[in-house]
Amino acid sequence: MATTTLEPQADTYRRSWVLDWLTTVDHKKIGILYIVNSFIFFFAAGILALVIRSELMVPGLQFVDIETYNQAFTMHGTIMIFLFVVPVLTGFGNYIVPLQLGAPDMAFPRINALSFWLLPLGGGLIFSGYLFGGAAAEGWTAYAPLTSERFAPGVGTDLWIIGLTLVGTASILGAVNFIATIFKMRAPGMTLFRMPIFVWTVLVTATLILLATPVLAAGLIALFIDRNYGGSFFDPSVGGNPVLWQHIFWFFGHPEVYIVVLPAMGVVSEIIPVFSRKPLFGYKAFVFATIAIGLLSFTVWAHHMFTTGQVLLPFFAFMTTLIAVPTGVKMFNWLATMWRAKITLATPMLFALGFVSMFLIGGISGVMLAQPPIDFHLQDTYFVVAHLHYVFFGGSVFGVFAAAYYWFPKMTGRMLNEPLGKVHFWLHFIGFNLTFFPMHQLGLSGMPRRIADYSPDAGWTILNLMSTVGAFMIAISVLPFLVNVIASLINGQPAGDDPWEANTLEWATSSPPPPYNFDRLPPIHSERPLFFLTHGHGHAPAAGREHDVIEEPEDDPERRGGLA
Amino acid sequence: MPTTGARSRARSIVRAGGLLLFLMLLGGCLLPPDPKTDAGQDVFNLYILVLALAALVFVGVEGFIVYAIVRYRREPGDDALPEQHHGNTKVEILWTAIPSVIVLVLFVMSVITLGSVEARADRPGVTIEVVAKQWTWDFRYPDGVEVTGSSGRPTELPLPVGEPVRLVIISEDVNHAFFVPEFLIKRDAIDMGENAAPNEIEFTVTEAGTYAGQCAEFCGVGHADMIFVVNAMPRADYDAHMAALAAGATPPPAPGEGDCPTTIQVAAVESIRFDTDSIEAPAGEDFCIELTNNDAVEHDIGIDEIGFDGENVAPGESITYLIPAMEAGDYTFYCTIHPREMVGELKVTE
Repeated sequence: MATTTLEPQADTYRRSWVLDWLTTVDHKKIGILYIVNSFIFFFAAGILALVIRSELMVPGLQFVDIETYNQAFTMHGTIMIFLFVVPVLTGFGNYIVPLQLGAPDMAFPRINALSFWLLPLGGGLIFSGYLFGGAAAEGWTAYAPLTSERFAPGVGTDLWIIGLTLVGTASILGAVNFIATIFKMRAPGMTLFRMPIFVWTVLVTATLILLATPVLAAGLIALFIDRNYGGSFFDPSVGGNPVLWQHIFWFFGHPEVYIVVLPAMGVVSEIIPVFSRKPLFGYKAFVFATIAIGLLSFTVWAHHMFTTGQVLLPFFAFMTTLIAVPTGVKMFNWLATMWRAKITLATPMLFALGFVSMFLIGGISGVMLAQPPIDFHLQDTYFVVAHLHYVFFGGSVFGVFAAAYYWFPKMTGRMLNEPLGKVHFWLHFIGFNLTFFPMHQLGLSGMPRRIADYSPDAGWTILNLMSTVGAFMIAISVLPFLVNVIASLINGQPAGDDPWEANTLEWATSSPPPPYNFDRLPPIHSERPLFFLTHGHGHAPAAGREHDVIEEPEDDPERRGGLA
Repeated sequence: MPTTGARSRARSIVRAGGLLLFLMLLGGCLLPPDPKTDAGQDVFNLYILVLALAALVFVGVEGFIVYAIVRYRREPGDDALPEQHHGNTKVEILWTAIPSVIVLVLFVMSVITLGSVEARADRPGVTIEVVAKQWTWDFRYPDGVEVTGSSGRPTELPLPVGEPVRLVIISEDVNHAFFVPEFLIKRDAIDMGENAAPNEIEFTVTEAGTYAGQCAEFCGVGHADMIFVVNAMPRADYDAHMAALAAGATPPPAPGEGDCPTTIQVAAVESIRFDTDSIEAPAGEDFCIELTNNDAVEHDIGIDEIGFDGENVAPGESITYLIPAMEAGDYTFYCTIHPREMVGELKVTE
C-alpha cells in the first residue's frame, strides 16, 4: 500500500509504525531512513578502521592475519564511501531539498523509496562475503588484474561487484529524482538563482552521479564477465588491458570525490551565513564555482595514475591544479562571509568551520600530489591516505555532522544539547588531526599504504602509535553524539519552527514538517526568503498550527497524475 | 569599543600559530628523506617550493578563521544585524586571478622538474630489468647475472654510483610498484601484454650506501614482504661485486653479511619467542644465522654443542652470526637470556 495519503480513508486506516516506515514514500521519512542506515554502516566501517589502526599501532602482526587485514581495509573504504558518505548526504538532500524548494515531495516518491531500499540490500551483499569464505580483499579501488579470478578466486569479490552495482543503481535513480525535483518542483518565485546553495550543490552532484556512476557500473559488469564468463577486458595475456580498469574506475572515482564533497560544501554554505548573520558573500560566484568544479572533475581522473606511465602527465597535472581556483573562490567566499559578521559558535557552526579548516589541508595536499614529480614520491604512500581522509573525513564527514546538528531540530522538533555537541566536536577534531596528520610524515618517509606490518627499523613506530591513539579518540567522540541524539529524542528542548534565525524555506514550516510540508509559502523574492520576511516585514512566518488535521493540498490533477 | 581587546587577542593567536608552524618546518617536519639521486634532488627542490606556498596559504586562511571567530563574535543579546555584504565584483575577480597566476607558476615549475626527472641519457651506465612478481623481486643485469629474491627477505639491487642507471620495470602477474623512498621515485610494474612497452626510469645515485625499497602498489597477501635493498657502490666495487655474482652460483650475500654461502633468518618476536622452532643448515661448511630482534627485550643465540654463544642484540636491531662448519646431526639453538622460552631445533644435513 504505497499510495499517497490523499484518499479520504487514509487518515482513519492505522498501520503499524514498522509497516509505515517500510512502505513510506514520504521524502522526509526516506531521508531519515537514508541517514539512519548510513550511520549504521558508518559504525561498521569505523570498527574496521579500528582493526586497521590496532594492527598498525606497533610493528609485528598482533591482532589479525594479513588476509583479514586486507579484507578490513577493502571493506572500510568501500563501506565508508559508497554506504556512508554518499548516502548520508543523499539522505539530507532527500529531506531538505524539497523543503528548501517549497515542494511537497520529491518528483518520483516511489523511485525514491526504491533507491533507498537498494542500499541495505547492496551493502548487505558486499558484507555477506564474510559469510562465504571471506570478503573482497583487493582494496576499494579493486585494481585489475589482482581482481581476476586467478588472483582473487573467492566469491567475496563477486558479491562486492554485485552489491556495488546495486548501490550504484540506487545512486543513479536518486540523481534522476533530484534533477527532476529541482527543475520541475520549485515553488512559485523560486527561480534557479534564488535556490539555496545546498540545492545548487545537490543539483551539480546529481549531474555528476548521472554522468559518472554508469561508467563504474559498466566497469563492474565487465569485471564480473572477466571473472565468471571468460571475458578478457582487463587480462593482458589475451589482449585485455589492466590499465583500462584504472581509467574506468577513476573516470568515475574522481567525480565521486566531488559527489561527496560538493553537498558538504552546500551544507557549510547554509550554516556559515546563518551563524554569521550575513548573506553568503558572492552567491553567484559560488554557484559558478560549483559548476566549474563539476565540469573540471571529469578532466582530472588520470592524476590517480601518474605512476602507471600510461597517461599524459602535463595535461592531467594542469587540469588538477586548475581545480584549486574555483575551490579557492569558495574558500574566500566563506571567509568573506565571516568578515565583519556577528558569529555564534554553536555546534553546527563549529563543524562547518571544522570543514573549512580541514578541507583546506586536504586541498593543499591535493595540489601537492597533483605535481607529477612529487606524486612519483608520494603515490601509494600514507601521504595519500592522509590527503584522502582530510578530504573525505575532514571535509565530508565534518559536513555531515554539521548538517546533523543543524537540521536535527527541523527533523525531530527537538534541540540537541549544546555542551555535549561541543564535547563531540572537540574530541572529534583533535582525534581526527591526531589520527591523520602524522600520516603525512609517514608517507613522506616512504610508508606504503595497505601493508599490515612494517619493520621496526623503518622509524614509523611513534607516528603510527599516535595515529592509533587518535583513531580511538574519534571512536570515543561518537559516544557523546549518540547520547545527545537519544537524550534529545526522549527529552530534548522543543525547537520551534526556526531556532537558528535561518534564511531558507525549510524553517518556514513546523518542526518536524507536516507530511505535505507547507500549509502556505512565504513570498520568494531572494535566496533568503525567510530573512527577507523576518527583517523586511518584522516577524517570522510560522506554518499553520492546525495541520494535524490533514488538509488536501491544492488539487492539481496534472501533478497528481505525475505522482501516481 | 569592546572589540580592540578581541582584535589584539586574535592577532596574537594568529601570530603564535604562524610561529608554531614555522618552527615545525624548521624542525624538519613534513620533509621527504634526504635525496640520494640527482632526480630525487630535483623532486625535493620542487617539493620545498610547493611546501612553502602551501604554508603561506595555510597560515593565511587558518589565521583568518581564528581571527574572525575571535574578533567578530556575536555578543549575547546583540540583535542588531551586521552590514549585509552580498559580494564585491572587484574583490572576487582579484581572488580568482591571483590563485590562477599561482597555479600557472606552479604548473610551469612542475613541468620543468618533470623534464629533468624524465630525462634519458644517450647511453646509461647500466640498464637493469626489474621483474616484480608475487611477492619477490628479480633483478636482471645485462651480462646475464640475475639476482633473485625470496619473499620476506630484501633482495639486493647492486648499483654503481655517479652514472645514469636505467631500470626497465616489468610485472609477471599483478600490478606492483618499484619504490625507493630515499630516491624519491616510484614507478608501477604492470603487465601490459601487447598494449605498451614496460615502464622505464632513470637516475644517477649520488651517494654510496644501502637504501631500503619495497613494493608500493597493493599486490595481495605478501605485499608487505616484497622488499629489496639498493646497494650503491663506486664503479670499481660495483664491477668486483658483479664479477663475484657472475662467478658464484650461490645466492649473493646481502650487504653486511660477510662471507656466508648460506644465511638462515631467525627473528625474535613479541613476548619472548623465536618465529621458528626448527632451522636447517648444510653440514661441513660455514654458515650464517641472521637474528632480527622484533621483541621488546634483548636476545641472542647460543649453540651448546659447539660452545657457541652469540652477542646480544637490542630490540629493533639485527645481527649476523658466523657459525663454523658443523657435522651432520640434530642440535639445539636457544636464546641464552631466555633458555626456557626460546629454544629451537637445528638440523645440520649433508
